[in-house]
Amino acid sequence: MKFDPVEPGVWPELVYPAYKSTVKRGPLQPNLRIAAPIPTSRNIQAGPHILLPNDTDLTLHGKGGEPLGEKIVVTGRVTDEDGKPVRNSLVEVWQANSAGRYWHSRDQHAAPLDPNFYGLGKMLTDDDGRYRFISIKPGPYPWGNHDKAWRPAHIHFSLFGNVYAQRLVTQMYFPNDPLFDYDPIFQSVPDEAARQRLISKFSLEHTVGSEMLGYEFDIVLRGRDATPMGL
Amino acid sequence: MSKITTSQTIGPFSHEAWQWLADAGLPGKLKTAEHSIQLSGCIYDGDGNPINDAQVEAWTPEGAGLETEQLIPGLRRMPSGEGGEFSMRVPAQQAGRGEPLAYVTVFARGLVKHQFTAVFLEDDAGLAQSTILNQVPEERRALLIARRSGDGAYRWDIRMQGENETPFFDYV
Repeated sequence: MKFDPVEPGVWPELVYPAYKSTVKRGPLQPNLRIAAPIPTSRNIQAGPHILLPNDTDLTLHGKGGEPLGEKIVVTGRVTDEDGKPVRNSLVEVWQANSAGRYWHSRDQHAAPLDPNFYGLGKMLTDDDGRYRFISIKPGPYPWGNHDKAWRPAHIHFSLFGNVYAQRLVTQMYFPNDPLFDYDPIFQSVPDEAARQRLISKFSLEHTVGSEMLGYEFDIVLRGRDATPMGL
Repeated sequence: MSKITTSQTIGPFSHEAWQWLADAGLPGKLKTAEHSIQLSGCIYDGDGNPINDAQVEAWTPEGAGLETEQLIPGLRRMPSGEGGEFSMRVPAQQAGRGEPLAYVTVFARGLVKHQFTAVFLEDDAGLAQSTILNQVPEERRALLIARRSGDGAYRWDIRMQGENETPFFDYV
């Protein structure tokens, strides 16, 4: 595949002082543009054997019943820059529970853990590039970066694409969150349209009866001119 | 104007979700090639402090064929430890062609976009012909080369900033 330079403002700023821990961790030298055939044409092989039975239903992980919170289904298509589906590709997701607490030893937020919700999932995209998983709407949480620092509710995504250079880790947000304007992680992306693309859309089409609300989040990975599979 | 989805940090809470793949590379579970290499190092921030919540992935494309029993052949993932340390056993690629030992991806809290790099072995006779190294400014190439630290063991550190900032890549 070909990887055109990304337009200025679309990637977040690697050093963005309002997000304090970027200051000593973001590389200061520009990335080197490297032509290398393997990372742009090959990838890891992740097959269905890596999936566990409930990896796409995060509400079924508890031993004691249903988790608390607003049950949701999140779905979308993963495509490349030509709009072609990114098929059979590994997607990992993780998130806080409905109270804004992660199932993680380092999370010190005083909100309660939910014994029926860990917030961990993974899946493969289908032949149309689509993924779909069932979860609970995560809560916002404080993170100590500055006074009254609260993260807007979000779900973390890790994507492997169809070739190695398409790797992406990002966060999906929910519509109309009042915290967007105050969140330096969201705001570290200079381009307004690129920020808006991180926000999922409520979807009546994907809403399931009286069971759960639908959210749609499409993802476009870098890369164009994919070689058709099997050639 | 492309409409790509932008990046966001992995944050500090990736470990539980990412552990299944890290586990697959641990001794006892790992089913790799007979000829493999222990790659160890530390990851540091711009003050030289260890980064204790990074994730390092190492991909050895040729190695995939040598460890077909492995959960995801040719791929390792390791969270950094309290001292910023990571260590993983990767299948050895055929030497002498200047190919990296592994293509490496780095993630961390405070790193808003993952960074690609690659690591080479100092005793690979093909380093001078490496197509990747030859695209790196000469004075920075040594920063991509792991030094032999024992029998089948090599050491390579990652520095996010500073005089010895690791060269990071954007593939064309």
